[in-house]
Amino acid sequence: MQQWLDSLIRGWGHDPSAWPWTQFVYLAFMGLFAFAVINFAAITAGIFSWAERRVAARMQSRVGPNRVGPGGFLQWVADAVKLLTKEDLIPAESDKVLFRIAPYFMMVGFACVFVALPFSHRLVIADMNLGIFFILAVTALIVVGIIMSGWSSNSKWSLFGAIRSAAQIISYEIPAGMALMIPVLLAGTLSTQGIIRAQGGWPWQWFVFDNPATFAAFFIYFISALAEGNRTPFDLPEAESELVSGYNTEYSGMRFSYFFLVEWGNMWVMSALATTMFLGGWQIPGVSAAQLDAMTGGRAVVFELLSLAIFVGKTLFWVFVVMWLRWTLPRIRVDQMMNMCWKYLVPVSFVSVIFVAGWMMVVRAAPAVGTVTHWIMFLAAGVVPAALFVSRVARNIRDTGDRFDFTSNW
Amino acid sequence: MAENVTAQRQTPGAIGAYVKNVRDTAKSFWEGMSVTLSYMFRKPITTQYPDRVPVPVRDTIPPRYRGFLEVDMDICTACQACERACPIQVINIDILKGDGKTTPKLRMERFDIDIGKCMYCGLCVEPCPTGAIQHTREFEGAVMHFNNLTLRFVPDPLVPAVPYKPPKGADAFPRKPLGEITRALIAAWDAPPPPFPTKEQLDGDKGAAHGKPKPAGLDPTAMGRQLAAKALQVKEDKPALQKVLEEAMAGTDCGDCGYPDCKGYSTALAYGKDTSTEKCAPGGADTKAMLETILVSLKTGKVPEAPAAEAPAPAEAKAPGAAPAGDAEPSGPPLAKTLPKDELFKHVLDAMAGTDCGDCEYPDCEGYAKGIVYEGQADLDRCAPGGEDTRAKLFKIMLGTKPPPK
Repeated sequence: MQQWLDSLIRGWGHDPSAWPWTQFVYLAFMGLFAFAVINFAAITAGIFSWAERRVAARMQSRVGPNRVGPGGFLQWVADAVKLLTKEDLIPAESDKVLFRIAPYFMMVGFACVFVALPFSHRLVIADMNLGIFFILAVTALIVVGIIMSGWSSNSKWSLFGAIRSAAQIISYEIPAGMALMIPVLLAGTLSTQGIIRAQGGWPWQWFVFDNPATFAAFFIYFISALAEGNRTPFDLPEAESELVSGYNTEYSGMRFSYFFLVEWGNMWVMSALATTMFLGGWQIPGVSAAQLDAMTGGRAVVFELLSLAIFVGKTLFWVFVVMWLRWTLPRIRVDQMMNMCWKYLVPVSFVSVIFVAGWMMVVRAAPAVGTVTHWIMFLAAGVVPAALFVSRVARNIRDTGDRFDFTSNW
Repeated sequence: MAENVTAQRQTPGAIGAYVKNVRDTAKSFWEGMSVTLSYMFRKPITTQYPDRVPVPVRDTIPPRYRGFLEVDMDICTACQACERACPIQVINIDILKGDGKTTPKLRMERFDIDIGKCMYCGLCVEPCPTGAIQHTREFEGAVMHFNNLTLRFVPDPLVPAVPYKPPKGADAFPRKPLGEITRALIAAWDAPPPPFPTKEQLDGDKGAAHGKPKPAGLDPTAMGRQLAAKALQVKEDKPALQKVLEEAMAGTDCGDCGYPDCKGYSTALAYGKDTSTEKCAPGGADTKAMLETILVSLKTGKVPEAPAAEAPAPAEAKAPGAAPAGDAEPSGPPLAKTLPKDELFKHVLDAMAGTDCGDCEYPDCEGYAKGIVYEGQADLDRCAPGGEDTRAKLFKIMLGTKPPPK
């Protein structure tokens, strides 16, 4: 972003390095970006809350909220207004200071991720050379907020939820970190933009189809991200039937809405990260990153928007998958959750890292092996399962004597 | 060989179990997600009540559904059997008595059913002799104003409903199609309640005399007639009429009537914006009776006669000189001793309410009258619609005494 700012200032005929107060200009723009990012996060989280209810409703043969605005789209605005105007209750026996600031810890941990998260070819707040490391580090702040809210509420439900969440997030950080190591190994950089540049626009150039270990790592990352975001089937910290609402039981009004903002906003974060690390990010098929760099003028703007659309499209697809999973799978037990992490995901992720390290040596010796594996993986793990899945879904509809009808009864 | 394979499947090794778990997980994801996605692409089966349904929901519910009550006033006999059957006093019927010659013997000034209170038990429907009161299939009770939940089947108390005389031996009655009347009433549900008087009306005469608290022991019927006479003189002069009406009220300005003070309520009555006479809680039955007397005499154009023999009021409360001849017959043998049975039967039948309600456990009024005259029925207390009135008459005719207090 600094380069972008500098070029902007130079475009106006000034030299930023000659200014004595350039730092303040940067500071002002940092504030502006922070404002934009927080608003982006809040609005997407709001829209996801509506989308999730519509998706859930369709999957349960219901209609869902469809009264406020076209298709019920403004439902999230109505809910936000309701939440913001509700009374902010603070339990008498709680630790009042911690209780008040806990939601902000979560908000900070969540919003900081957007600093290193790319949106398009040029649009990223800061393309840090340790981007992934930064993202993993700041997401850990969410656990602090969760434990803080659970502890300070002075309620057993809240504390149970917080402890479960701590156990879960800390456990799943390991497979998530190891799985994210694999694209880092392949790309040779921690920078998010660098990792996207190391991939290509076509699906067979994505890291997910690079070799069997990356394919496994993608799913390990996705499962771990679900667990870290407290999403079903890993929503044990807020298991309604057991813990009322878990760590946020005692919260109301605006502070309560922060927790949900983080939960829904996290769907964007986990999906955008999966897109960045494994699915080619904003890469446009047939246009290389170097070609994009060389573009200027209106052409650059068009391709910039195209890359933005590609990135957002991929991310939204995985957001949909996260919702889809939530309305498919029941919540798993605590012991199953721990089993899954320590007995399956952790060992497989370690094996995958070692496999990829060896694989890179093989591919360096014989590049043709890598190309062939790309294609085999793309066909065997991508195209064929997708086709089988579509036919399976079609058969599910047909077998019940029903038919495909997506448009009526909205 | 086959046994061997089965045995292996039952006790897989550690690695086999591990791989099996992974495979099962992937399979359950595959199956589960294909099912949920397939439902996503089907038509939702829920109905979008209330405005996106092909037919109104009330037309899809069973015919014997117990929805809002409906009374067809054209076939209502004013027997009040429903009012008596109601366990929670949801139904309110006000009967206006006449002499049976110039005015009908019974008229209904009010037939209100408070839907907000009704528990839809159906007990009122059972005793109705003509099927005038029925449950409809209407059920949507969301209203803008709570007071509108009361269904008023006599829209204007100044135009009382005349009871229906069922033909002898009839077992079917010309009832309007079920639901029409209630639907018409609930169509007006979201109309605003009677408005408050405007500021001009209130400020018009600020220092005007408010209604005074009535001295204890005042005879409300006499005062009602006096006020009615006054009101008739100033019939067209609304502010003066308002003052007359206000005099009938308790004068406490309690606001229970829904208007800011007595003046507000009486103004609404004077301008005809409100026709309900029972809103004055501190004034109670007295105020209600006086207001009714005034409103009825405004409508009919003459002050009602002082209560005759049928009036339940004690004799000492009557205005002096107002009692017509033939009223006082305290002594002498009862008619039952002097008249032949056929004549007596006519008198007895005349004393009854004539609604054929069947509450006396005879099929109709004629049955009860026959029972008393020819069959020696000694219980003279059975005519519920006639009330105290009929009771007093029957005791006088048959025994020549006043009825014992209840």
